[in-house]
Amino acid sequence: MSELLEVKNLSVSFRTPEGELQAVRDVSFCLHAGEVLAIVGESGSGKSVLCKSIMKLLNKDAYVKGGTIKVNGADITGYTERQMQRIRGKIFSMVFQDPMTSLNPTIPIGKQIAEAVRVHNPKMRADDLQRRVIELMELVGIDQAEQRSKLCPYHFSGGMRQRSVMAIALASNPQILFADEPTTALDVTIQAQILDLLREVQEKLGTATILVSHDLGVVARVADRVAVMYAGKIVEIGTAEEIFYDPRHPYTWGLMRSLPAYAQQGQQLYTIPGMPPVLIDPPAGDAFACRNEYALAIDYEQMPPMFQISDTHFAATWLMDGRAPKIIPPIGGMCHV
Amino acid sequence: MSEILLDVKGLTHYFRLSKTAVIKAVDDVSFQIHKGEIFGLVGESGSGKSTVARCVMNVHKPASGSIYYQGIDTCDPAQFRKNRKLLQTSRQFIFQDSTSSLNQRMRVADIIAEPMAIHHVKPQRGSLREEAAFQLHYVGLDSSYLDKYPSELSGGMRQRVTIARALSMEPELLVADEPIASLDVSIQAQIINLFAHCNREHGCSILFIAHDLAVVKYLCHRVGVMFQGKLVEVATTKELFENPLHPYTKSLLAAIPIPNPRLERARVWHPFDPGLFDRNGKMVEVSQGHFVLKGETV
Amino acid sequence: MIRKNPYIYYGRKILAFALSVLILSVVVFYIARLAPGDPLVSYYGERVERMSTQQRQWAEEKLGLNAPIYVQYIRWLQNAVKGDFGISFKYKMDVLEVIGERLGNTLILGGIAFVLIFAGALGLGILCAWKEDGWLDRCICKIGTITSCIPEFWLSLVLILIFAVNLRLLPSGGAYAIGHKNDIGDRVVHLILPMTVAVINHLWYYAFMIRNKLLDEVRADYVLLAKSKGLDKKRIIFHHCLRNIVPSYLSLMAISVPHILGGTYIIETVFSYPGIGTLSYESARYQDYNLLMVLCIFTGAVVILFHMIAQIINERIDPRMREQEIVDTTEVTEIG
Repeated sequence: MSELLEVKNLSVSFRTPEGELQAVRDVSFCLHAGEVLAIVGESGSGKSVLCKSIMKLLNKDAYVKGGTIKVNGADITGYTERQMQRIRGKIFSMVFQDPMTSLNPTIPIGKQIAEAVRVHNPKMRADDLQRRVIELMELVGIDQAEQRSKLCPYHFSGGMRQRSVMAIALASNPQILFADEPTTALDVTIQAQILDLLREVQEKLGTATILVSHDLGVVARVADRVAVMYAGKIVEIGTAEEIFYDPRHPYTWGLMRSLPAYAQQGQQLYTIPGMPPVLIDPPAGDAFACRNEYALAIDYEQMPPMFQISDTHFAATWLMDGRAPKIIPPIGGMCHV
Repeated sequence: MSEILLDVKGLTHYFRLSKTAVIKAVDDVSFQIHKGEIFGLVGESGSGKSTVARCVMNVHKPASGSIYYQGIDTCDPAQFRKNRKLLQTSRQFIFQDSTSSLNQRMRVADIIAEPMAIHHVKPQRGSLREEAAFQLHYVGLDSSYLDKYPSELSGGMRQRVTIARALSMEPELLVADEPIASLDVSIQAQIINLFAHCNREHGCSILFIAHDLAVVKYLCHRVGVMFQGKLVEVATTKELFENPLHPYTKSLLAAIPIPNPRLERARVWHPFDPGLFDRNGKMVEVSQGHFVLKGETV
Repeated sequence: MIRKNPYIYYGRKILAFALSVLILSVVVFYIARLAPGDPLVSYYGERVERMSTQQRQWAEEKLGLNAPIYVQYIRWLQNAVKGDFGISFKYKMDVLEVIGERLGNTLILGGIAFVLIFAGALGLGILCAWKEDGWLDRCICKIGTITSCIPEFWLSLVLILIFAVNLRLLPSGGAYAIGHKNDIGDRVVHLILPMTVAVINHLWYYAFMIRNKLLDEVRADYVLLAKSKGLDKKRIIFHHCLRNIVPSYLSLMAISVPHILGGTYIIETVFSYPGIGTLSYESARYQDYNLLMVLCIFTGAVVILFHMIAQIINERIDPRMREQEIVDTTEVTEIG
């Protein structure tokens, strides 16, 4: 598999009145062509900022502190806004969380899609353009595309709008699709439809997808690989099977154990004690240490490196070190197949 | 089963859009909540579950139907006036959005003690402040939070404060409208535990409204499923999840993503066709305590 | 709300308009007559002081000032419906004729100022939003805050002092030099100072509004989507954001007509520019009842009319406002 996107040691910070907020801290990962990588984490873990910083969609308060972003081998870290415009939409595009606000309310859907097609094909003829718009709308499962393309977003339900947003995102056949919590604002039944669509389109077009979500169920449905983020860092990354059936990081354990889906009725639901750290002046060691019941002394002092477990599975916890005491994980080891 | 606390009979509520257009938000909904029970109400957005909650709390006056709380017809103004204090103290509401349901200009202590001050309840623990501290402690926050403003708290803490405020009146019925929808996974677990604790230790009945079925499955004793303003199925949680009968319930249950990649990928999901929905159907009891809306088509 | 029948909708609006004007006329009629002062002065000038009681009574009867106020009002209303608004006490001419002469002047001053203000405000607003937080944006904002704090009459006096008195470049007042009534060049020269004051005073306020509205739009989620599909800033601002502020901008323009009109009245008075403003001031000062009535009603009617236009624009242009209609036709037939 070729590496489409390679992020190395990326750090992104925000200027705030209280000081520098380190939203993304030293994150490295890569995305292979045609795969779905899910980034899981709670709000404030930096998963959304990570995606937006790759596309350079963050506002002026944010700045990349260090690291490199390579797309198809080309380093885009220092790209100017003008250079970014040329590759946005074509190389990567994005689907946002709230379909109610991510479409321009006063422009008909068809025009908004056509606009996305035309940016990278300015010479396209009008009837070709129209055909392409209909084709895109049919691709994302909007029937009666011809008539519907003339309607403004407020005629559409949430699910339909999210489909339209996907049509826009796919307009110029991007190689990478970022989906930032694409189903969080939708109902369960609509969510299932959109997820199936995401998977279907991904298989049909071979678009590599980065799915950002806080919902482990959603991730299980679509992801090939999963990265777990906590306090601006990726703490564990691996294939979906490895993460769900054999998690190694205590935070991943905590996340899984707090899911009501795994718990029996009447049994106390597991909760991770404490609160996530504030990322202005984050703690020196492992940010999760103070909430971690398995924390070792070193966790408070030194940041754990990424320990390799298999070819694809990595976890940043000192528990993986050879000198650490052996711990029987509270879950995992294929216990809930 | 034990005594019935809340009995909703044929509840119907309309929203008037203009002179001629009307939306039936809730259409002939009947269910009961027993003492000490957590009753879950699930459905899509717009299915009318929040409207039911508001009618139960006398926020909306239903177009028809009646709601009996401890045998009092709450929709009857005369009976409501007579039992005002009981109705207003022993039923409490918890909103989804804790940010807007707390007054930003009041301190936590005042927020929690406000219902007591309004109803002139004599604080059992000396002062209102001590009472507030007790309730705060009960929901898992220490008294250092008493003098904070809601904006200084995180989402999970704010939701705890709203629960503490509701509990300060020692309610018998808590109506919680999507109380965990805007919270993170790990925080959700804390709040769910808190609800379970209230129910177990306090014997408090809860009308729990949610769209997350995994939570409902874990927390609730009985569940009602709503679709387009109609209650389509009511059963005990175990029965409903093991043996769903209405096609909408089946589709809804199948739509919950399970955090298990192998099972999840293998699953095929078919959406429910609203065209098949017969809203003139009748509720039929198919087995002990399991009711399904039966129409001509489904 | 929803319009099923345009006749009923506009009929209602017109009725509301007529009613408001009627109420306004009653209020103005009463207040004018309750105010202290002698209306006969405006008709007879200084002779009033030498009049005997009988002469006064005769004069009052001739001008219709002796009856109780409500009788006077009914009489006035009856004539007004026929199109006869009486004569101006001061000019001894039909009121409409007096106004007709001046109206053109005011329309020239107000109209051109209006166009300049809104074109300028749009340009400045977009510029500021484009360069958000840049030095240009900050400069414009600072200058704007300072100049909009300066009262119109003071600014007018300062400008007159500088350009008319000290530099002797521009005339200090009036609409044209004596004998140059049809000389366009002369008129333009006379317009420069009043126009400058009118524009400077209002421009910033509207430029700020556009800047802030535009920035609200720029921060909306759909801009992120537009960016992520590869659009450039120019297209996003002009094609997406500007389009969404047009409805509110148009209604703002309509609402501001009276605001700018009020400003011109003051400016006219200071520059003794022969327009409606100066005329209104004079008529109130000399208790020229008939003239005052027509001018007040005219101004009031303009205010009410443009408020209504603003409202209609708001309802019509923004497709989101028409959302209700869709709910009516689709969901309800399915559900209800």
